[in-house]
Amino acid sequence: MESIALTINGKKVSCRMGDTLLSVAEKNSIFIPTLCHHPALKAYGACRMCLVEDENTGRLMASCVTPAAKDMAILTETERIITHRKNIVRLMLAEHPESCIVCSKGNRCELRGIAARLGVAENRLYPMPNYKPYEELNPFIVRDLSKCILCGKCIRADHELVATGAIDYNERGFASRPATLMENPLEESTCTFCGTCVSMCPTGALSSKHAGFVGTPEMQKDSICGFCGAGCSLAIGIAGSRVMEVNPSRVKGSVNSATLCVRGHFAHDFLNSPNRLKQPLIRMPDEDSRLVLQPVPWDQALSKTAEILADIKRSHGPGSIAFVGSPKCSIEENYLFQKIARVVFETNNITSTGSINGQPILRFMENKTMGAARISPFFELEKAEAIVVINADPDHSVPVAAYHVKRATRTGTPLVTIDSRKTGLAPFAAARIRPEPESDPDFRIPLLIASLAAKIADLNGHDSGYISQFTTGWDLIKTETSSMLEANPLSSGEEKEISRAAEMLSGRKIALVLGSDVMESRHGTAIADASFNLVLATGSLGAPNAGIFIPTPESNTAGAMDMGVLPDMLPGRKQLSDSAARNKLESLWKTKLSPDSGLDLPGIIEAAESGHLKALYIMGENLIRALPESSRVEEALKKLDFIVVQDIFDNRTTRLAHVVFPGSAFAEKNGSFTNMEGRIQSFIPAADPPGQARADWHILGMLAQKMGYPEQYATIEKIRQEIRRTVPMYATLGSQRQEWIKNSEDTTPLSVKNGDKFEFASIKQGQPAEISQGKSFTAMLGSLRWHPAGGTRTSRSPRMAAWDRDSQVRLCPADINALDLTGKEAIRISSNHGSIERSFVADPGIFPGRVFVPLGVCGNDAACLAGIDSLKQTAPAWRTCGVDIEKI
Amino acid sequence: MDPTQFDRHKLDEIIEDYRDRKWALIPLLQEVQEEFGFVPPEAIVPIAEALNMFASQVQGVITFYSGFSLKPKGRCVLRVCRGTACHVKGSRSILRLVKKELDLEEGQTSNDYQFTLETVACLGACFLAPTMMVNKDYYGRLNPTKVVSVLGEHRKDKEDD
Ligand code: SF4
Ligand code: SF4
Ligand code: SF4
Ligand code: FES
Ligand code: FES
Repeated sequence: MESIALTINGKKVSCRMGDTLLSVAEKNSIFIPTLCHHPALKAYGACRMCLVEDENTGRLMASCVTPAAKDMAILTETERIITHRKNIVRLMLAEHPESCIVCSKGNRCELRGIAARLGVAENRLYPMPNYKPYEELNPFIVRDLSKCILCGKCIRADHELVATGAIDYNERGFASRPATLMENPLEESTCTFCGTCVSMCPTGALSSKHAGFVGTPEMQKDSICGFCGAGCSLAIGIAGSRVMEVNPSRVKGSVNSATLCVRGHFAHDFLNSPNRLKQPLIRMPDEDSRLVLQPVPWDQALSKTAEILADIKRSHGPGSIAFVGSPKCSIEENYLFQKIARVVFETNNITSTGSINGQPILRFMENKTMGAARISPFFELEKAEAIVVINADPDHSVPVAAYHVKRATRTGTPLVTIDSRKTGLAPFAAARIRPEPESDPDFRIPLLIASLAAKIADLNGHDSGYISQFTTGWDLIKTETSSMLEANPLSSGEEKEISRAAEMLSGRKIALVLGSDVMESRHGTAIADASFNLVLATGSLGAPNAGIFIPTPESNTAGAMDMGVLPDMLPGRKQLSDSAARNKLESLWKTKLSPDSGLDLPGIIEAAESGHLKALYIMGENLIRALPESSRVEEALKKLDFIVVQDIFDNRTTRLAHVVFPGSAFAEKNGSFTNMEGRIQSFIPAADPPGQARADWHILGMLAQKMGYPEQYATIEKIRQEIRRTVPMYATLGSQRQEWIKNSEDTTPLSVKNGDKFEFASIKQGQPAEISQGKSFTAMLGSLRWHPAGGTRTSRSPRMAAWDRDSQVRLCPADINALDLTGKEAIRISSNHGSIERSFVADPGIFPGRVFVPLGVCGNDAACLAGIDSLKQTAPAWRTCGVDIEKI
Repeated sequence: MDPTQFDRHKLDEIIEDYRDRKWALIPLLQEVQEEFGFVPPEAIVPIAEALNMFASQVQGVITFYSGFSLKPKGRCVLRVCRGTACHVKGSRSILRLVKKELDLEEGQTSNDYQFTLETVACLGACFLAPTMMVNKDYYGRLNPTKVVSVLGEHRKDKEDD
């Protein structure tokens, strides 16, 4: 590309065609003040603070929007420029209210900073403060538009980055300001409270709501968000050792760039919850000889635990102890945890809630792609030729993944959704394929996906070259699809939308976004099979900016799986039954590994009920809250002789424990997570854990030592070293802040080892299951953006807890009529396993006969509707169940 | 008839005509404004959906242009010029007189939806200053008598109806 030479303040510089003067100055460390410019946003040129002068022509130009041209002689600080800048600031201050001094933006206000730098104090203009602050009830954002300087950053962030469109300029001239539709308060707009605009606002016009005055942070530390599989880069503002506020970090190439979601931005106040555990506790007799949890020193708690666990192992055998880790804990912690289970306690009874939340589909795809397609950078979605989203609502589950999809559609990328629900992506979809209503929501989905692939092939839009070179079984699939269609013909509506979608997708490589929970509903395997086939038929697996993208639910869903926190899987995604893999680990770990799969979650509950299981060690999970059928889980746990819980909160599970170790949350420790893309991100502590709480890896290291295990794990580096040696996928763990997991034997989809071919999956279309089991409704259990998974942490965030609007279940208006409901009353929803009481809202996006029940709220009581038994399949179909609804 | 009421069916028809068209917002809004005399706020969301825009964006465009209004206007829309030339020629007193005559402030519409009073920055007829418009007609070289008679004319219109 052509290079341009010019001078800035007399210094010779060069740049590329099209670079703006501002970017050239920045690259050469020449400072130009800006207010409306942000590197993540399109150039705008509203504030004129960035004026520079061309000596040759005497022209004044806004450097953020002016491209550099040959032989320009730019000056950035002439008297003329300074006078103009001062005048601009004076005008802005004239409109500014006097509450400036107590503004919570404080010394981070860019307007104040610039005014100070220019020496503008009194503005000597007639003051004309504008607008009034909004009275808003939401617990997240305060808007005081009297401090707005109309830089438009909030609006551009809202449109360009998160594509929500909650705000835009309203009115013109002096009355103009960023406003919601009808100037409603934010809570009555489409705002998702992602806070992206708050981080961008250069003044105190937009700020985070705090319970009281909090002052401004003293320093900032980079970290990684632990609330979902996106793994956003954070800049955490600290005062003392407390986390005051969170903003997107400025590190380059992060998954989130300048965005966050409501959880990342606002839910960190859970860290300061009064329910945090601060001391190790042991159940001991008190003065009245009642057994209660009492604080003890670390050493005593650890020795006691080691002693009792060793005892149980000796007298009842290794199979009498089980371990439940957590997809919220780090790679290092999960590795050490499973190693303690497998090596110190010689048991494969190790699993986590990831095994019923997200990991099933990851395992499925690992298997189908032969480990050759583990990496899926989500920014590729924005360069994709077409996007297909199947049974996923990333707008809620992983908002940052949804931003990528929405941004892509706004530049014209066709989006096709296939889902029985109306998701947050629906308004952005060019085609929406919805199944005809059936009692079983997902029964028709595999059929729809398969006929979409067939239709694309009819248009000759499939990739026949790819199919013959890299795959087997295509012909079989074609016949199979025809017979599926004969048995269950498409409706004319389905047919029409599939044809439209096929036209859009024909001849294109597709990026397929698949819900992380597909395998957890009925027909999950068939949906996954059909999705995989669609990707193969279009030659998309291995093509640039295409393939399979799965927004994982927890910060380390993938990492916990990769570390072998599963009863039948070893670190590095190796099957336990794979003897070569076992042998390799046996020699590294100097131990014998049993080839027999350990207990999974339902297995653990049943073994506790039957008395075969004696002890349970839980790390980072409130098991009673997180699992289906909580009362059954609770009863089962009560039967155990010994429970150790390592957690950050006092909760229903710790209250049953015999020993409680206070652990640390993500912002308080070092570690690393593997995100939804296969990106490994390491982090260091931003704040201190409360009281005597310790990092979970540290606790495990101390315990291993007490158990007499010879290796010492005194530092995180020690654990990383071992992982690097043991797990080839993580051969460079911790060497950089950001890196990527490795594909199996370093193959890619287009160079699979041994020339193996991908196999089109034969779709096992089941029957429309009688999930109703005599019940009149089908409940769909899912999460909304406020409370992911069981909501254990977000429910302890005062801000998130104050947002109680989304606990209602959703019913279609026709059913509301049929049930003779008028509006405000509560309803009882009961399954064969339990029942809950909720209020409801009408949602025309829901099919008749269905009820959407949000998880994570009201103590996650909705999980009681599903049964533990539903987990006992390869695809744990616990997210759909038959229920009755009655008025109370 | 309540002027805030409008024919929903007609609105849907207009929107349908422009669905998925590029650069359609302004012409669509013009047609809606022409048809109903204002852009009903209820129209914003369906218009945004049809054109794949954000509702807040559609609202921003409506309130940016003085040609669009979210409120129904009177049968006669008076635009009194407050531009420089007219100011020099005494438009301030003209405006004061109109306000008094109609008992309306700037931007207001009479309760019976007969009159809406607006001001503009220049009607582009400075040689006739001071000026005003009633709907699409210009009135120049205004003086108090002329103002009263123009207003009377339009009041009369009403009585004829
Ligand atoms: S609210 Fe803040 S970001 Fe938005 S236009 Fe005003 S000053 Fe800029
Ligand atoms: S918080 Fe997010 S969704 Fe709400 S207005 Fe700001 S950028 Fe838009
Ligand atoms: S998208 Fe996920 S990782 Fe990013 S801020 Fe939200 S919760 Fe945190
Ligand atoms: S920063 Fe260039 S005009 Fe605002
Ligand atoms: S100033 Fe009134 S018409 Fe121009």
